[in-house]
Amino acid sequence: MATDFEFRKQVLDMHMSGVIKYCYQCNRCTDYCPVAEVTDNAYNPRQNILNALLGFKDAIFSAEKIAIWGCTVCDTCDEVCPQSIELTEIFKLLKNQSVINGDAPDYYYLQAKTIFENAKAVPPQPAIERRRQQLGLPAVAAPDVNELTTLLKNMGIDKKLKGE
Amino acid sequence: MAEFKMFEGCMIGNRIPFIEASCRKVFDKLGIATSQAPFSCCPDPTGFANFDNDGWLAVGARNLALAESEGKDIISLCNGCSNTLKLVNHTLKHDNLKKDKINQELLKIGKEYKGTIDVKHFVSVLKGELEKIKSSTVKPLSGLKVACHPGCHYMRPSEVMETDDPMHPMDLKEIVIACGATVVDYGEEVLCCGSSVSNAYEDHGMAILKKKMDAVKKVGADCLVVNCPACFQQFDGKQRDLSKKFEEEFKIPILYISELIALGMGIPADELGTKFHRTRVSDILEKIG
Repeated sequence: MATDFEFRKQVLDMHMSGVIKYCYQCNRCTDYCPVAEVTDNAYNPRQNILNALLGFKDAIFSAEKIAIWGCTVCDTCDEVCPQSIELTEIFKLLKNQSVINGDAPDYYYLQAKTIFENAKAVPPQPAIERRRQQLGLPAVAAPDVNELTTLLKNMGIDKKLKGE
Repeated sequence: MAEFKMFEGCMIGNRIPFIEASCRKVFDKLGIATSQAPFSCCPDPTGFANFDNDGWLAVGARNLALAESEGKDIISLCNGCSNTLKLVNHTLKHDNLKKDKINQELLKIGKEYKGTIDVKHFVSVLKGELEKIKSSTVKPLSGLKVACHPGCHYMRPSEVMETDDPMHPMDLKEIVIACGATVVDYGEEVLCCGSSVSNAYEDHGMAILKKKMDAVKKVGADCLVVNCPACFQQFDGKQRDLSKKFEEEFKIPILYISELIALGMGIPADELGTKFHRTRVSDILEKIG
């Protein structure tokens, strides 16, 4: 397994204080991880941190998708880590890279597209608008969709989306 | 109390608005004033943040800038939204390089993030109004056994959320007690609902949900109280599928904490739209009377 030094630098830059280097693989993150428990460690946060720290880019991105995307973002590992490593931040970096590789589960591309096009993850629907009225609620204040799409386009998000 | 900008979020605003109804009624009774703003998606800390971190920061910062332009703090009805908005606020306040980068993007659309407002989850606001909740409760819910699920992002990551103990949360329990109901512990209070992992891996989400619902059922809770729409959808919407998959009845009513408070305040269930729940709540309504 080869170390990708550029990737390793990206990982270390997430933690300016270098705290990730103090990971001693105690496995507390995985012990507390609800997904590791139900997947028999197919999702294993400790292994992800080790691979990230060593810059083993290929090992991370050529594994089964669940090795990264099994994370349910509950932030439990962050709380139980005795070295105060913000694991979830590292995992976010891995997922962002997986999106660029075109390997993320479909759901994430779909949600990003929905937000890009509607400025909402759940677009307004006539039936719900009527229900809001029945419940005596004001209409949802409509967001400026054009402005949001422009913002995201300027940042190149549209290029990361997948086709129709 | 100063007026807040209401951040109801995509899921509550555009899918399960009855939750907003109970929140607004409770806020009115407690004198918590709110007004609207044309917020976009927060965006989703478990979805869009994992898609593109900088895009997520920029959209979050734009929402914060909208509230900043009126000089008002945000009150969020959702764990996800309060998690995103607090994380974005925290990140940009502590990382000037990032802040400059995001502001360069915002400048192009005529906005600027300054970092001048706070974001509150409505539960932490209610936690400061326990006496008022007690005195506005006309139907004490004594005898009602309530299991509590504050949800991961109400208190984690604790350094950013700054609300409650990350592994032994108390805020939601204290509100339930203020309503006169009885809190029952079930040992899995801080377990994730499984919603986020379900988006890509439905079976694993269901396995986590099963663990949670087994624990709630075992202690004989009358209902499970939540304060996050994603958790609500997972517990309320997927309970029937869970029963089918594991051939086991659960039938555990799920209430948003605002619904429980509203019922205690004597607000009729039909004004709250409880009929829109997927898992029936009629048993509790009868019990409350």
